[in-house]
Amino acid sequence: MRFYSGTEPLGWNPDIMKKESVTRSLIALGLTALLGGCATSQTNTASNDPWEKPNRSVYNFNDSLDRNFFVPVAKGYVWATPKPIRASVTNAFENVSYLNVIANNLLQAKFTGAAAGTGRFLVNSTVGIGGLFDPATSMGLPLSDEDLGQTFGKWGMGEGRYVVLPFYGPNSARDLPNVASAMALNPLTYLTAAVTVPLGVLQTINMRANLLEETNIRDQAALDPYTFVREAYRQRREFLIYDGNPPSESIDDYLNSSDEPKAADESSVLKVY
Amino acid sequence: MLKPLRLLLSLFLLGASGLATAAEATAVVETLHSALLDTMKNASTLGFKGRMEKLSPVLDSTFDFQAIAKVVTGRHWQSLAEDKRQAFIKAFRELSLATYADNFSGFGGEHFETLGHEQKKNSELVRTNIVTGDAKRVSLNYVLTKNGDEWHIVNVVAEGVSDLALKRSEYDGIIAAEGIDSLVAKLNGKVASYVAAGK
Repeated sequence: MRFYSGTEPLGWNPDIMKKESVTRSLIALGLTALLGGCATSQTNTASNDPWEKPNRSVYNFNDSLDRNFFVPVAKGYVWATPKPIRASVTNAFENVSYLNVIANNLLQAKFTGAAAGTGRFLVNSTVGIGGLFDPATSMGLPLSDEDLGQTFGKWGMGEGRYVVLPFYGPNSARDLPNVASAMALNPLTYLTAAVTVPLGVLQTINMRANLLEETNIRDQAALDPYTFVREAYRQRREFLIYDGNPPSESIDDYLNSSDEPKAADESSVLKVY
Repeated sequence: MLKPLRLLLSLFLLGASGLATAAEATAVVETLHSALLDTMKNASTLGFKGRMEKLSPVLDSTFDFQAIAKVVTGRHWQSLAEDKRQAFIKAFRELSLATYADNFSGFGGEHFETLGHEQKKNSELVRTNIVTGDAKRVSLNYVLTKNGDEWHIVNVVAEGVSDLALKRSEYDGIIAAEGIDSLVAKLNGKVASYVAAGK
């Protein structure tokens, strides 16, 4: 059984490859503050995508790079690397990026979550040998998914414009600052390039490999992959902001009143969770 | 003296009918789930075609494709001629069937769990999980509406991603740019590629 979860192929994190990433994160923060400002003042279309044209170009660029380079490399990696090793690689990168999760638990006043996250990080970093193994999950400290975009969502900020970043993939004005915070809170960022470059390459390939099934589903199911990915991304983000339990919006009004939904309602009408 | 009694009685009846609808809606979802589980367990003996045949009557009894078609074509439905509507419904139904036959193509110890339900104004929300063999949970929520006496599924939301909303966004662009015939052709093309690849 397989599902498309809305996680995107080019949603990897090549940040740790960049040495001067802290300066970059500050610039990115400033930039996104600007974008966020624009986002609130614009008139929201149904899919928050006034930049659809340039977004589509970037999407196509990413997609062809993905198909011609990253997918073959990821498939080679899957072929050459036993599953437990890939699982450990995934664990280790998840573990080293966990400070951002803990910080965002705190920012959302989820103190139990922050405590559990800290416990998880400590257990997996020590008993789990630098995060290669995940004994924390079986100790009742499961992986949680928090980031700065979710924090802003929790604080009531709108999603802002949808934007497809070159290499990085789907994003939004609200989610962009997380690119910087994830970078700043990742210890690997502060190591020398001799370490971070190969690790960044490994992380990217491993992440792409983990998403091979997702993209298969996308390729099979989507009639218009760009729209498919955008809507999946937006809904998935909403789902995460509400920790899997978004307020229900009813389809009743649409089903029972009229055949002609208002354009502005289109995305909200059917988002039932 | 009679009044409070009547009130109590009506409250009780109301509560009972609420329970009944909830149970009915949940039963529809569980009917689908047990058919899916059965399909997964017998996936290889059935083969792709066999899985489609097995699920065909199940989807017809558990989904309301007419209502779904109306929703996913959105603003365009009103202006579609009856034959176009029927062609769309037929293609959409086939695609749903092929997608299920493709996605539920093997068994790895999965099971379904029903978590609960919520009553909406005119619909019922049934929350479930599919639990994989290695105990990972995938959230799978269903929206059902009542057509006549029966509850039917009109939307499936997997991990927060609404199938209908996704399709509606896609279809809207295609109908607007290329027309309904092109959309129907694309749906049929998807069905054909599932069938061609199906094992």
